[in-house]
Amino acid sequence: MKKMAFILLLSLAKVSAGEITIAVAANVSYAIEALKKEFNAAYPQTQVQVILGSSGKLTAQIKHDAPYGLFMSANMKYPEALYSEKIAVTEPVVYAQGALAFLSVKDQNYTVGMNILESQEIKKIAIANPQTAPYGVAAAEALKNAGLYEALKEKFVYGESISQTVTYATTAADIGLVAKSSLLSPQMSEYKENIHWSDVDETLYTPINQGMVILKKGEGNPEVKAFYDFMLSGKAKEILKNFGYKVE
Amino acid sequence: MIQIDIHKNLHGSQGDMDLDVKLEIQKGEFIALMGESGSGKTTLLRVLAGLEKAEGDIRVEDVYWLKKQKMLPPQQREIGFVFQDYALFENMSVEENLLYVNNDKVLVKKLLQMTELNRLAKRNVKSLSGGQKQRVSLCRAMMNKPKLLLMDEPLSALDPAMRTKLQDEILKLHKTFGTTTIMVSHDTDVSYNLADRILVLDHGKIVADGTPQEILLKTSTITYTLCI
Amino acid sequence: MEIFDFGSLDFAPFILSFKLAGLTTLILFVLSLPLAWYLSQTNSKTKPILEAVTALPIVLPPSVLGFYILVVLSPNSAVGGFFEDLLGVKLVFSFTGLVVASCFYSLPFMVQPLQSGFESLNKHMLEASYLAGKSKLQTLLKIALPNIKPSLITALIITFAHTVGEFGVVLMVGGSIPGETKVASVAIYEMVEVMEYGKAHIYSALMVLMSFIVLLAVYIFNHTQRKIGVL
Repeated sequence: MKKMAFILLLSLAKVSAGEITIAVAANVSYAIEALKKEFNAAYPQTQVQVILGSSGKLTAQIKHDAPYGLFMSANMKYPEALYSEKIAVTEPVVYAQGALAFLSVKDQNYTVGMNILESQEIKKIAIANPQTAPYGVAAAEALKNAGLYEALKEKFVYGESISQTVTYATTAADIGLVAKSSLLSPQMSEYKENIHWSDVDETLYTPINQGMVILKKGEGNPEVKAFYDFMLSGKAKEILKNFGYKVE
Repeated sequence: MIQIDIHKNLHGSQGDMDLDVKLEIQKGEFIALMGESGSGKTTLLRVLAGLEKAEGDIRVEDVYWLKKQKMLPPQQREIGFVFQDYALFENMSVEENLLYVNNDKVLVKKLLQMTELNRLAKRNVKSLSGGQKQRVSLCRAMMNKPKLLLMDEPLSALDPAMRTKLQDEILKLHKTFGTTTIMVSHDTDVSYNLADRILVLDHGKIVADGTPQEILLKTSTITYTLCI
Repeated sequence: MEIFDFGSLDFAPFILSFKLAGLTTLILFVLSLPLAWYLSQTNSKTKPILEAVTALPIVLPPSVLGFYILVVLSPNSAVGGFFEDLLGVKLVFSFTGLVVASCFYSLPFMVQPLQSGFESLNKHMLEASYLAGKSKLQTLLKIALPNIKPSLITALIITFAHTVGEFGVVLMVGGSIPGETKVASVAIYEMVEVMEYGKAHIYSALMVLMSFIVLLAVYIFNHTQRKIGVL
């Protein structure tokens, strides 16, 4: 009898400690390891599977039944679309505000701000594709507000995601407009602030509100809810701040 | 005159052997080269054509085709070669095959008439019969007025009627042009009919050298050649 | 299904794709012919090494190939810098760069059928050409090449088709610049990304149709040549 109870308890324990799959926008990929670690400190039994991609691609997958429990997008538009189609079961909340930054492998004089892009030395400017990436939308907006978009159009190369934009900026492009979060990860430590990278004037673009939703496939799953709550907690906000995001 | 003194290591169907050939050929001679399979006959022909390496000397009149190990490339040797599998240029007509070697339209006409191929001049060679292909091959070999004509079993793939016809044509061409010729053959009849000198090769070495009567009719060598 | 306004169709990506494929096929043919011929005629010890190197683009994931091309041809690198600063030629984020990348990517698809064709030629036929006093080059152009027409057609078709379908490399090296490097495969991908599925369907169907017409034309040509007896 005792043996039976013990086995039952063991199997229950196995059932409750499981795996959750979360879809995470490319720009959060730099912070996600730190976030996972902090989450697992409180919930050591939960395995967090992270699926990275551009927000658009992830949304398309979610619409076609991808087995994700939670979606952290780079904007509000995609989560809102999912919520209105009842594929997301919670109303989108802002878990962080993204910021844009310039990045170049060569030393740049960032005191001139946006105008650095007009320099003759800058032949190719990498931005995320405004049609597919929210950070690209913000970059285009900032450029238009600075009155430089039309003039510099010839110089643009479009990364299909914010991560590809970082690749361009660190290889063949002369400079790129990237997510600030990418610059604060350990792999990018060789790039120094004000030498290689610098903030883009935040008055030039609408804050990049990044929305999070629980998806149908994660409904009723206590571990998904735990991660959701964690992302909105003080501890997560601390980490996000360290990665250059703005938090409430 | 052609002077040959060559040596080559061979890995043949009969195992490893050395090809060691020393001989002199007079201008206009018709030689039949005979011997068992794997005795080095084809190799000797290919060495003479410059298609394979060897050590030694090959002197043709005043020109060295091979000196120690220095080879004159096949392009520069004035040789005609009739391959056993014809090896015609399949993207060309009969006429074009001949003109490719030498743009001498008069010679083309003459050769095609001698071998009764003139009505097939414009036909693509792929559509020809075996006997016709062999005749084209023969004509093509004669186009650059070679100093040496080499033929590797030119009649073996043909039926008896064709064989006789082609023998006549080879003879006709030889009488007309007087080209020094070496023909590899398994067939004693053919060798007897065409050649004025027979060489027998065994394990890479010449073991008999004489007229067809001497080689093929003498009792002792009959036994030998009947075993071939 | 939404009613699609065909007037709003942007043909630029298609034109780019076919331009890229055509140019790449042409350039690769000229470059591959001597290589394929050499590989077919040689017995040197370096042959397996050369063959393995030529075949590499088949096994490398396109995105990896694209990344390395990006790094090596970048204006910040030695090679890319030389071309851009001294010759004024941009090798990344430009149509020229795409042509270069495509030549790497599709190289084995041109070389291998040609090499295979040459290797199956009757050796004696080539020797007959040498004995007729023709050089190796003359033999290649007048005897070898005309006698491998089926392999030649295969090489041209596969190289063309492979380049039209190219995606990973182009995405990496091109930068998706409209009118310059935004080829059809990238354009369709972006339509899917922004969930404009209707548009994506139309463009894909057009892509398949155009490619089918090109391939059909070549195969018909091949067939009629065979009937005449030229092949």
